[in-house]
Amino acid sequence: MSTNTAPAVEIHESGDSAVRVVAVSADPERNWETVHRLAGWLDTCDAEGLHGAVPTYDSVLVEFDPAVVSAKQLRAFVVLGLRQLGLRQLDLAGSSARGSLEFEVPVAYGGDFGPDLEKVAEQQGITVAEVIALHSAKSYTIRCMGAPAGSPMMDGPDFPLPVPRLEDPRLSVPAGAIAVAGRQAVIAPATAPGGWCVIGQTPLTVLDLGRDPLVPYRPGDTLRFRPISHGEFDGYVGSHLEALNPATLLPEVAL
Amino acid sequence: MKGRIVVEQPGNSVVTDLGRFRGPRFGLPVNGALDQFSARAANILTGNPDNAPVLEVTALDFRMRADQDLLISVTGAPLTLTVGGREQPQWEPVSVRAGEAVAIRGIHTGLRAYLAIHGSVDAPLLMGSCAPDTVVGFGLKLAEGTVLGIRRSVAPLRQPYFDIPLFRLGLERPAMGSELVVDVTDGPDVAEFGDSASLLFASGYTVSGRSNHIGLRLGGQLPERMSSAEVLSRGVPVGAVEVPNREELLVLHRGRGVTAGYPVLAVATSLGLDVLAQARPGDVVRFRKTTVAEATLAYRASMRQLESLRTTVNTVFKLLGVGDEPGWRELPPAIAI
Repeated sequence: MSTNTAPAVEIHESGDSAVRVVAVSADPERNWETVHRLAGWLDTCDAEGLHGAVPTYDSVLVEFDPAVVSAKQLRAFVVLGLRQLGLRQLDLAGSSARGSLEFEVPVAYGGDFGPDLEKVAEQQGITVAEVIALHSAKSYTIRCMGAPAGSPMMDGPDFPLPVPRLEDPRLSVPAGAIAVAGRQAVIAPATAPGGWCVIGQTPLTVLDLGRDPLVPYRPGDTLRFRPISHGEFDGYVGSHLEALNPATLLPEVAL
Repeated sequence: MKGRIVVEQPGNSVVTDLGRFRGPRFGLPVNGALDQFSARAANILTGNPDNAPVLEVTALDFRMRADQDLLISVTGAPLTLTVGGREQPQWEPVSVRAGEAVAIRGIHTGLRAYLAIHGSVDAPLLMGSCAPDTVVGFGLKLAEGTVLGIRRSVAPLRQPYFDIPLFRLGLERPAMGSELVVDVTDGPDVAEFGDSASLLFASGYTVSGRSNHIGLRLGGQLPERMSSAEVLSRGVPVGAVEVPNREELLVLHRGRGVTAGYPVLAVATSLGLDVLAQARPGDVVRFRKTTVAEATLAYRASMRQLESLRTTVNTVFKLLGVGDEPGWRELPPAIAI
């Protein structure tokens, strides 16, 4: 049985309690799939001493308890997982336990809701209306859950240029802030400091400590922004961000 | 009858445990007791599971009073512990009679103390952990008048034969002081710093007052990153040593944002993180290079020490009838807090 279908990765030491696995194929889309599927596999293993995996774009941080497993053993375990994924590539392609969810996020752009909107337009050399149109034009795939508080990290809108980060990061960005930086887009689920340009705000509640999971989306889900007027904002306050399509449970794929 | 502890002087204190290990997968930091060794030891000394909720008291004086007899222990930074006005030892189980004040004063040399109570206290959970998360606004931060529910009461322990201390456990305590040594391993991005990476070991770094549970900021000679290419957001380990700007070194601790885009120069070991948990502003930290294999051995040796402490404590408790009827009795559940 050949193992050359296993995804190409590098495994880097990251202290006594974590390793970083980086997918190194030439195709960013394939790398993203590799690290998320590896994280999913590690999640379902329930291996003793394994705390969990944090997948982002091309890498996954695997955390463990060094009293129970060593970095060396963990590394061997990851290689085993990759081999499993490589060999079952076809069975698993595009599938997950609950299918992909779609979200629509109403956004009040500009003014107090989006204090950096005009600056972004100026920096991009386009009008404010064009920034809004580009930002709300496409459907975004959630790439990973980032800091703070499980922010949905997405590839950014089709702006002409990358968006520079703020020179003076804000000490407090409100929950619901819609922000862009570099070639990325995000929603802030909780109030936290931030250095990204805030172009709008959603009135919806994204993070709810009373729910499990705390946020309704996960990597692989898709999301679209819909402009609303400033006057409409209050009407949405108190509503939660919910998927447009209810979760359809696909049969579990055995590994 | 319900067991209650009332916080009379909160200082800067929270109820926490070893951390929210499921959190990072969902973008929440692990958080939990910053000095894990001291938190585990406090729980073991009171016959609790390592992960039971404990009080973490940072820097400032603290006082509480219970309406039941308690068995407690206080570990972490050196301080003055008094129960009903009488001075009591740290790193030992201590009996408290109903109505007596338990006071922690004058935390010095280190920064954080851990107070465990046999049977622990009631605390709300998020994803299986009571550890506070300041970003999502979760957790039990203690204020004047906060009432903590307790589930067990332990009658005062008395050594029936001789008038000598009950426990002389002689646990090796973590190093603390104004000159600290923190072991680190090479970070996954050490190559990005070229030759300047070795600067990390050349001289000491001074802990800034702007340090907290998210990270410690340290002033000193800064290694410099060779490239300036933007890095994709990646999961960052607790203990990551980064150089985010030209002024300070940043060592991320348990409250760190789970993902970031800075290259990781080095990673503090698990034991090194306990040392950093006790670093006070103005203290000097020296980094010492180790390997992952050595760090793992050192960590396991320290865990074995805690295991042998557990064996001793459990043996003594069994002889005294603690942990078995009738040494302690279950209290009915407290009112939800």
